[in-house]
Amino acid sequence: MKSLPTKKTHVIGAALFAAAMTLPFSNAAFAEAAPEKGIVAFKYLNYKESQPVSEDRMSVNAYTVSAMAPIAGKWSISTSYTYDSVTGASPDYHSNIDHFISGASPIREQRDAGDLSVTRYLPQGSVTVGGSYSEENDYISRGYSAQASISTEDKNTTFTFGGSYTTDTIAANNSEWRDLGRIEEKRTVAGALGVTQVLTKQDIVQLNLGYSKGRGYFDDPYKTYDYRPDRRESKTVMTRWNHHFAAIDGTSHLSYRYYTDSFGIRAHTFGLEYLQSLPHEWTVTPSVRFYSQTAADFYLPVDPADPGRNDYFLPLFIAGTPLGITSMDQRLSSFGALTLGIKVEKRIAKDWIVDLKYENYEQRAGWSMTGGGDPGLKPFSASFVQVGLSREF
Amino acid sequence: MKKNVLLNPLYALLLLVLGLSGCSIGSAVQPWEKETLARPEMTFEGDPLDNKYTEHIYSSKEAASGGAGVGGGGCGCN
Repeated sequence: MKSLPTKKTHVIGAALFAAAMTLPFSNAAFAEAAPEKGIVAFKYLNYKESQPVSEDRMSVNAYTVSAMAPIAGKWSISTSYTYDSVTGASPDYHSNIDHFISGASPIREQRDAGDLSVTRYLPQGSVTVGGSYSEENDYISRGYSAQASISTEDKNTTFTFGGSYTTDTIAANNSEWRDLGRIEEKRTVAGALGVTQVLTKQDIVQLNLGYSKGRGYFDDPYKTYDYRPDRRESKTVMTRWNHHFAAIDGTSHLSYRYYTDSFGIRAHTFGLEYLQSLPHEWTVTPSVRFYSQTAADFYLPVDPADPGRNDYFLPLFIAGTPLGITSMDQRLSSFGALTLGIKVEKRIAKDWIVDLKYENYEQRAGWSMTGGGDPGLKPFSASFVQVGLSREF
Repeated sequence: MKKNVLLNPLYALLLLVLGLSGCSIGSAVQPWEKETLARPEMTFEGDPLDNKYTEHIYSSKEAASGGAGVGGGGCGCN
């Protein structure tokens, strides 16, 4: 029998959708002109994950409304509000949800999040400032961002610069006894540089460089024996290429991202989607995404003889020896992941668009491009369904 | 020994893309030729709410995140 210290119910506490989500940052292709029309949009998401032998993994329902309004031809203001609720449980270690520790009944958690940004349009560029806030019972995140873009005179090349600051407050109130009642902080600064280039009448490419540096609490308080460094630095390079096929009125979006961080993780992400316009205002978009990462330096793989790692940790724990930097989080292991998706959109009236999207996601240790996957981990899969409605005015 | 900065894949990629964009300078696309480029599907912004949801899912289930710009926020993602 397990003799771990008792821990309060684990569940998804903080949840998939905790977070300030994306801070307002425009990825617009050119130095944009001020928008002529405003837009109001609604989107629903159902996210459901599954893993063999863990029938009660997470499920999320999220609802977002957003609005963007042009002001006086030189400004625009954008805002969004998201509500989501999460049920289910996340693993205590590796792929295991240990009912002895976590209790069998799933708990429901909610989150509210909002953001606001203001953009000023200039003859050859734009400036945007924004803020975001997200709150749930044990996690508060606040973010601030600023970004500027400037174009060459022919508007074929646009440079963007941006920075953000995020501060998170984490109440470890659902965690192991070690952190119980502690209030932790995490602060992250990030910067990004981008260049977008028109290549031809039907081709546009973009390169973005990103850097992020965080200090504070990076442990996962919901997991057993999870002790991570209190600093994390990451760098990204992302390239994107959009191409229009005039003869068939279709558009392809190709993207690649390289990611590296101070945890020792290196990741490659490849994305391809193809939008096909069809008669009667329909658009169909199939998509495929492949992701592969190496393991964090401190990831501890499954030991078939000691799956809970109690023989390994417990004597040290009892002796009061510091356990060092270590994690049994599947998300820090080496794996590959494939997403297949399809989106259907229809303009139902002059200013109204409805859309429906389905994606299937699967993660496997054996799919890592660089090898080194942990054979003790079970495959993980999830489905994402989105339903949206938007109106221009 | 210090690593040669030019061997870093990040810098190699940067040089490649800057090189590619340089190729187009000789045949700049004129303003009246930008009808296709102005279509919503040719922008990198896409569907903002769709991107918001999917980027958030990926950043909570995978170790890597970010890349498309300044963004992301903290979360107690499980």
